[in-house]
Amino acid sequence: MPTEEKTVSITEQSAPQMSPDSVSIFKRITKFVGAENLSLMIALVIMVALITTQTEFFFSPRNLMNIGQNMAVVGLIAVGMTLVIVSAGLDISVGSIAGCASVVCALTVTQLGTVVGGVAFGMGIGVVLGLVNATIISILRVNPVVATLATFSAFRGVAFLIAPGGRPIGVLDQNLAWLGSGRLFQTETFPGLPVAFIILIFVAIAAHFVMTSTVFGRSIYSMGGNPVAARLAGINLTRMRYAIYAISGALSGLAGVIVTARTSSGQPASGTQGLELEAITAVFLGGALMAGGKGTIVGSMLAVLLLATLSNGMNLLGIATFYQLVAKGLLLVLAVAIGQWRLARAEKLQSRLAAAGK
Amino acid sequence: MSSAILDVQGVGKSFPGVKALSDVNMKVHPGEVVAFVGENGAGKSTLLKILCGDYRLDEGAVFLDGAEVSHASPLEARDAGFRLVRQEPEIVPHISAAENIFIGEYPRRSGGRVDHAEIRRITNDLLERYGFVGVLDIDALGRTLSPAQQHIVEILRALKDGVKVVAFDEPTSSLTTKEADRLFALIRKLRREGLGIIYVSHRLHEVMEIADRVFVLKDGVPTGNLMIADTDEEEIVRLMVGRELAHGYKRQEVTTDEVVLEVENLSSRWHDNISFRIRAGEIVGFAGLVGAGRTELAKVLFGEYARTGGVIRICGENKDIRSPADAIAANIGFAPENRKAEGLILVRSVIENASMAVFSALSRWGILRTPAMIDKVAPYIRQLEIKTPSMEQEVGKLSGGNQQKVVLARWLAAAPRLLILDEPTRAVDVGAKAEIYRLIDDLARQGMAIMLISSEMPELLSMSDRIIVMRDGMISDPIEKKDATEEAIVNFALGTRAA
Repeated sequence: MPTEEKTVSITEQSAPQMSPDSVSIFKRITKFVGAENLSLMIALVIMVALITTQTEFFFSPRNLMNIGQNMAVVGLIAVGMTLVIVSAGLDISVGSIAGCASVVCALTVTQLGTVVGGVAFGMGIGVVLGLVNATIISILRVNPVVATLATFSAFRGVAFLIAPGGRPIGVLDQNLAWLGSGRLFQTETFPGLPVAFIILIFVAIAAHFVMTSTVFGRSIYSMGGNPVAARLAGINLTRMRYAIYAISGALSGLAGVIVTARTSSGQPASGTQGLELEAITAVFLGGALMAGGKGTIVGSMLAVLLLATLSNGMNLLGIATFYQLVAKGLLLVLAVAIGQWRLARAEKLQSRLAAAGK
Repeated sequence: MSSAILDVQGVGKSFPGVKALSDVNMKVHPGEVVAFVGENGAGKSTLLKILCGDYRLDEGAVFLDGAEVSHASPLEARDAGFRLVRQEPEIVPHISAAENIFIGEYPRRSGGRVDHAEIRRITNDLLERYGFVGVLDIDALGRTLSPAQQHIVEILRALKDGVKVVAFDEPTSSLTTKEADRLFALIRKLRREGLGIIYVSHRLHEVMEIADRVFVLKDGVPTGNLMIADTDEEEIVRLMVGRELAHGYKRQEVTTDEVVLEVENLSSRWHDNISFRIRAGEIVGFAGLVGAGRTELAKVLFGEYARTGGVIRICGENKDIRSPADAIAANIGFAPENRKAEGLILVRSVIENASMAVFSALSRWGILRTPAMIDKVAPYIRQLEIKTPSMEQEVGKLSGGNQQKVVLARWLAAAPRLLILDEPTRAVDVGAKAEIYRLIDDLARQGMAIMLISSEMPELLSMSDRIIVMRDGMISDPIEKKDATEEAIVNFALGTRAA
């Protein structure tokens, strides 16, 4: 029977991954990042090697910690975006949500004098705006791209409206500033781990756990892979969407809070514009499919690291921002093209299997 | 009789695992109406698709007016003079009826401009010639046309030039009686003009009225080619269904008195006042033609489609089912007909797909217990002999039969009281079929109530304790196993005689 033949050949292909005995370091890394993220790792290594040959400063602890610091804002948004894209949605409004959160956080801290309140209200406004997105998508049945394109514009407007005079609000608060640019474990030789980066790591680990090990996370994969089948297996798509967009909103809000903390001002626009595209780029680069059902937190985080390293390296080499923009654009095309190629390859394999007999 | 205008010689066609047509010989003469009849899947559509060039035949030859068109593309078949009037015509919504008739073949004026005057002139001629004056406004936009008017557009597309043989596929399914009468008048006119006409229909009384000859297919094999004058509906039905039941599955009945599903006066967009019961350990087969409302009934029971009235009781308890999640909570399982579109998440793993319906039962505080998941699902994957290199394999990469077994494994793991199976063996090879039958039998023996929707007669007759036949959203009285015959089922399904 042709089926048997095919089954055997698949087994042979996947056999090396599954043999538990000969575990080299390389295989351990592969297992953790996932085979599909291996190309990202390779790209990262090549890029780091290239940059290192050009500038010694790159590998200094100070520079590496800077990269970590710069990853935090995009990274937090990319975590939420991963959930959204895996569920076959899209959230273009995240940058605008971060803008609103930045203003709300600054207002709270300056008016009420509470940093905890500032963080809470910043994330709270993110949740509220995420729920608005979910309502437009689920109840008004607007396509996610169109819905969040609309709120992308509307939420940015809201950010300007709630900032008095539409201008940035200065916040001088030591505790808040610690969130944005504080360092832990600082010594004379080591510049310390950025607090914002540690927050990102905690959030990413939590999200990784949610995506891999909880009913909620697995249901996101199901609904993204096939919404009809997911509903027929008892998953409430509306409730899922509310939760997913609320989480994306909350993390965008947290990113906005960190922007406020780092710049010591509530910024309706500056610092949060274009974050949506960077986050979406990262998620696709990290192996997610536009069609949904695929994508991992690990992949997205590797991609964020790759983008931050690219940016940092080009800065160190004194390459003008204009070129950096072009490079990021090229990366996005590359990311989507790789995704399409993967899909085509999977389909080809599938039709070959089908042609080989049921 | 004059020589045939359409001559089909020894045509055969196979799909992976299925012989769709074998050794089909038939002729259509000029001025003759030949009806194609047969059950769902008998091969009528396959034959039509070969004639109009959609499918390539594997063996045999087709001649149209003396010229061989065995390997014609759709365009070549059209140019040779074969036209198909489709059951559901493609109408472009934003252009006029006349433009819809000429779509793709607009008459041109110099400079490549579309000759709108010519389109209107020819369309008016066609309307007059075929008796549709006053029925179709040629300037009306496609989206404003009624189903009957769309059908007229489709007919005129077929007839407008160079037609030799025209095939009507279920032409009356969207027509009122009056409109159908007008269609028959048209067909008689075409017959007088000397065209070859193929008429495909489930409605035998129409076949008796309009056809000169009837060509019967059963499981891809011709079983009759009779002059209408020499036959009757009963004989045609017998030729359509009279097959040996030797390969049917023998199952043991263990029906108890415990009623699992009780449906009372159920109504929906498709159904009116349906009532029936399924007992524990009982398999109730649902027969009917495609479009009779069987799948819709399953989806109404499962909460996917809205119920507008009536009561559903599971084990005597009223269940207000408004979503699939409610249905699962009420201990109902549903394996849909189209497993790729509705059953499986193709990009996810075997174990994930198999455990989807029991995620919450396999978790504590929302956290999945992976060992529990494997303990729960792995035995079913083994029991069903699902051929997969690992539990982590993407379901999309398995074969059709194995994919269907993954859907079944999901519902075995969920262990519902009522399991609804919609065409469980569609596109499954013979070996896997037998295994699936054995499994369904096992489930019934363990006390599950099973609603089995199937278009395969042997499957229904051998598996079901009782059979309910559906037609146009209505159901027949249940037919007990000992009284169930294909004739009785087909007669109710076709509406030829009250069952």
